[in-house]
Amino acid sequence: MNLRFYLLRRIALIVPTLIGLSILTFSIARLVPGDPVGLAAGPQATEEIKEALRREFGLDQPLPAQYINYMAGLFRGDWGQSLYTRRDVLPDLRTFWPATLELTTIAVIIATLLGVPAGVISAMYRNRLPDHVARILSLFFVSFPAFWLAMIFQTWFGRDLGMFPINKRLPVLVAPPPTTTGLFLVDSLIQLDFETFMVSLRHIFIPSLVLSFSAFASITRITRASMVEALEKDFVRMERAIGIPYRIIIFKYVLRNAFIATITVISLNFGWLMAGAILIETIFDWPGLGLYAVHASLSLDFQPIMGIAFLYGVVFSLINILTDMVYGILDPRIRYG
Amino acid sequence: MADLLNIEDLHLEFHTYDGVAKVLAGVDLKMQRGDVLGLVGETGCGKSMTALSVPRLIPMPPGKITEGRVTFDGEDILSKSEGEMETFRASHLGMIFQDPVTNLNPLFTIREQLVDSVLYQQARGQKVPGRWKGFMPSVRQLRAEAQERAVELMRLTGIPDGDKRIFEYPHQFSGGMRQRVLIAMALAGDPDLLIADEPTTALDVTIQAQILRLIRSLVKQLGLTVLLITHNLGVVARSCERVAVMYSGRVVEESPVRELFKNPKHPYTRGLINAVPQKDVSRGGLIGIPGMIPNLIDPPAGCRFHPRCEQAMEICRRQVPAAIAVGAEHKASCFLYPEDA
Repeated sequence: MNLRFYLLRRIALIVPTLIGLSILTFSIARLVPGDPVGLAAGPQATEEIKEALRREFGLDQPLPAQYINYMAGLFRGDWGQSLYTRRDVLPDLRTFWPATLELTTIAVIIATLLGVPAGVISAMYRNRLPDHVARILSLFFVSFPAFWLAMIFQTWFGRDLGMFPINKRLPVLVAPPPTTTGLFLVDSLIQLDFETFMVSLRHIFIPSLVLSFSAFASITRITRASMVEALEKDFVRMERAIGIPYRIIIFKYVLRNAFIATITVISLNFGWLMAGAILIETIFDWPGLGLYAVHASLSLDFQPIMGIAFLYGVVFSLINILTDMVYGILDPRIRYG
Repeated sequence: MADLLNIEDLHLEFHTYDGVAKVLAGVDLKMQRGDVLGLVGETGCGKSMTALSVPRLIPMPPGKITEGRVTFDGEDILSKSEGEMETFRASHLGMIFQDPVTNLNPLFTIREQLVDSVLYQQARGQKVPGRWKGFMPSVRQLRAEAQERAVELMRLTGIPDGDKRIFEYPHQFSGGMRQRVLIAMALAGDPDLLIADEPTTALDVTIQAQILRLIRSLVKQLGLTVLLITHNLGVVARSCERVAVMYSGRVVEESPVRELFKNPKHPYTRGLINAVPQKDVSRGGLIGIPGMIPNLIDPPAGCRFHPRCEQAMEICRRQVPAAIAVGAEHKASCFLYPEDA
């Protein structure tokens, strides 16, 4: 079995995953206690008004019919409507989601670029000074609450030093680049608008840095642990004995062995950061999905909730598939097994 | 002729939680170019540690060399820096180990591992351009030549279809074939000395015989110098010219192979040879050496073998016997033999 077949099989597995996911999000939205219609219509609403609302949102039909409607809507691109704003869910997600995705992606990139080298150095100088420094740093970053660090950074870099803007994705007077992906960094590059690119890079830097800290810590720890484990392997001694330079052994032969565990943690962190970005988004006034999600959940606005849950589910499964693919690329035994 | 390898009075300690284990207590070993020397002894007698002291791969700490010298072709190995050691290993040493499954890196093709072995061993300390520079014609040429050499090495070590199988991964090879790949990796830079640390122990008997035959034929073809470590006297008898017997951190007897089997001098060697099962012995007729391997943290004073020795004398308890010539090229460390024999 070759790599291509392995990858195709992984992609095919997404279909049953998504069907299961849709059942799950549907059930969760219907099973939560409370009466969304009652909440939406307000305390003074008469029974007729509530009934009309129920009929409008299809809540008067039996559950299987509701599920089928929901599924059909998912395929048509009609992800329902907010009970409050009466706005369609899908366009809202398209507006808010890219900001969160951009923030999280940059955070994961920062965490990986800092965390993997820190872990490698830690393992190479095990129980010596560089190791202690890296471990204390990662303990520090994982222990301090992100919202506190966020405010500290905002104060230092934004207000006192004036090095970085303190909030939002772009200054008020700069027009966002024409939307292709909704990711300002990508869109401005597509337009070859390097000025906007730099401005939005400066805006995203501090929030994504703060967001990356917890991921940095776990990536460092897992890289260190799996490097230490891989360094004990017999083939390392063999490679040393026949004179392959230690540098090559570490960065070529051992790192790849250690990277399988690291990739797992990186992908898990991607998911966690996306779900956990809400605090950072609030502090930096970042127009992401976090605030939208919180409003929807507080008011039992079930269609946005379902939309968000489904979107996150899709993203998680995509990340998982991507991770599986990287496994297969890194380790031939997984690919052929 | 100068000695290729000279280990003199090597003392090695391991610091453990239970105390200091005196793993090597004065190992003396000499090898000339072209020698095939077998190093035998039971588990824990220090034969692997002696072998690992040459490429200096003993983990330190917890290991610590407290006394002694290791010289290779006149060069002092113990005083080299780690960088010099890398060059030294690449240009002079080849080493193979016991388990061919764990000694190959599972994530890289045979090609990647063999080509790197060829490049770094032939570079002899010079810089080797990384694989990512493969877009440069000179680097591509270099790597292509190294790959040709790798296929040649696979042919030399008896791997059929090397030009195709070089693209495969270790898990697609059988145990015996993997050991052949490891031998090919070790031989990539025409090493002056091949150290084989129990190369057949993890293989089944028929494959053992094949690998030993391969090593013998390589000795003949390439004039290799081999230090073969084993606990199997049969392996020594078939593959080596000289043999050194180790017991608890010292070489207790050294002689040509034939002489050792015909005329063993040290009581421990006699015990070992008696313990080899004979095919005409009736059931239950296995003979062992009474007692246990001595504790390395608190070893017996004097000759470390004396508690198990039937011929132990008073002096054995007090003094460590020196190596004494007991025949032509035959030395034993035992008080049974007078010094001037």
